[in-house]
Amino acid sequence: MSATGASPQLGTSPVELPSKAPDWMRLLLSTVFVVLFGWSAFSVDLKWGRLWTAPVDMWRMFRVMFGDLPWGDLDKMAGLMWDSIAMAWMGTLIAAVFAVPLAFLAAENLVGRPIAWVTRQVFNILRAVPEIILALLFIPVFGLTPMAGVLAIGVGSIGSLGKLFYEIIENIQPGPIEATDAVGASSVQRLRWGVIPQVAPELTSFLLYRFEINIRASSVLGIVGAGGIGGTLGDSFRFKEYGQAGLALIVVIVGTIAVDTISGAIRRRIVAGRAVEIGSADDDPMSEVSPGARVLAEEPGR
Amino acid sequence: MTATATPTVTPTPEREQLQLPSKPKPSPFAIGVWALVIVFTIVSARRVGFSFTGVIEDLQRSNPVFDGLLNTRWGEMFSSRSRAAFLQTLQMAVLGTTGGVIVSLPLALWSTEVGNPYVVPRLILRSINNVIRSIPDLVWAGLFVLGTGIGALSGVLALFFFSIAVMVKLTADTLDGLDMGPVEAANAAGASHTQMLRTAIVPQILPAFSSYALYDLELNLRASAVLGLVGAGGIGTRLAFFQNRGQWDKLWGLVVMFFLVVFVVEYVSVRIRRRLV
Repeated sequence: MSATGASPQLGTSPVELPSKAPDWMRLLLSTVFVVLFGWSAFSVDLKWGRLWTAPVDMWRMFRVMFGDLPWGDLDKMAGLMWDSIAMAWMGTLIAAVFAVPLAFLAAENLVGRPIAWVTRQVFNILRAVPEIILALLFIPVFGLTPMAGVLAIGVGSIGSLGKLFYEIIENIQPGPIEATDAVGASSVQRLRWGVIPQVAPELTSFLLYRFEINIRASSVLGIVGAGGIGGTLGDSFRFKEYGQAGLALIVVIVGTIAVDTISGAIRRRIVAGRAVEIGSADDDPMSEVSPGARVLAEEPGR
Repeated sequence: MTATATPTVTPTPEREQLQLPSKPKPSPFAIGVWALVIVFTIVSARRVGFSFTGVIEDLQRSNPVFDGLLNTRWGEMFSSRSRAAFLQTLQMAVLGTTGGVIVSLPLALWSTEVGNPYVVPRLILRSINNVIRSIPDLVWAGLFVLGTGIGALSGVLALFFFSIAVMVKLTADTLDGLDMGPVEAANAAGASHTQMLRTAIVPQILPAFSSYALYDLELNLRASAVLGLVGAGGIGTRLAFFQNRGQWDKLWGLVVMFFLVVFVVEYVSVRIRRRLV
């Protein structure tokens, strides 16, 4: 569908092609971007000279880091990574407990526009803060414990989970809802039979997806003192313990990829169970970008 | 509805004698996943020392953070140092994003079947990208601070790699859902591999790609705010400074300012992205 506009350039036929209309938007955006980039590159307070030596510096550092790894600490570090994974999971669950009901309140097809608008603003505010800043603020309240990290992840994920959830809910088929209305269901019954069965697989799959993202967050929360492997990483950065940093890095990478693989397999299985319905994403104007992209747009690190 | 009059066991004593098909049993997969989830949750809760009462008790005690929120120093939003730090954050985000976006287009093409017919290089590229993706932004920053020293350069480099992770993944997924028609047409017309990429693939993914680039800028802006916690420049340096001194009133001022900046950038970016796709 989307590609029909691209084909005429290919022909070498003598047909005279109509000249392209000037695209002012494009011109404006490009200009703004070039100016922004130029301004950044020239006025930023940054030692550009170091950039050329950076690859050598990094190579030297990696050699020191992975040259003599303190394998004796592996047990301890695996335990800490496990802490990080547990933090991410508990945080994701807490976020889900709040995000699911809130998402129903943010879907315009279930509640009125004003309520939906207010709920969405709450999501936007929560979405804007990085987890690590939340952790910074929570530590004096909850102490230097994994609990501070769990809550930081929980609160930080409510916004993005809620946003994804209400988008899913808004894309459901109206049929089942009309059917429940037609047989005289109360609003709770309507939710239970008309909405939840339609959205449950996708919600679960996004929950797992968010868990994968949160592992990346929780493995750095320790840098500010909120528990998990991040504490070791932060200390090794601070005190230039290269070997320790190297081993912690390996543990983080292996742990993250392992969880990604397991959770990804479960997600794919859950979504594949309803492949037929997913095929209808084509006629959803928002999915123009590519069906999975809007989800994936929440991608790593955050 | 016609009531079927078969005198079999009826689940409910209703007027209708409808025989419902029995519900399908939950699949072994579902049972397995549920069991896994429950066990995992219990183990995790123990591991992190989860307790509701603890949280509520902690919230009831007075603490400097919430006191600070009540007397937020709004002046901190406009002090010259904060302004400079914000500008640096913004510049870091722009530079890191630009670099990452430029590099990630070819990388994404090379990591998909349609752009790279050779299996082995493709697999290598994919695994490298998986490794890049599994390293959090702050860890990148920490590594570059270790390697190249404290300052905004390590922040920009961290954002560069972080952008590659995001962009290659998103773009590769878009490439997987490509319309193969133009590719076949280009091949049929005798295009070289490069010509095919240029005329059949790039125009198809360009709108999505630009939209991802803007999205990546938003992500990087948010990320670059915290890089300073490990010494990689930007507003995070100020955050860490106030945190160390326990000046929560000023820290809240910064956080509010950060909100505003993120909101404005996101608003503009979302508007542009809507037009793009």
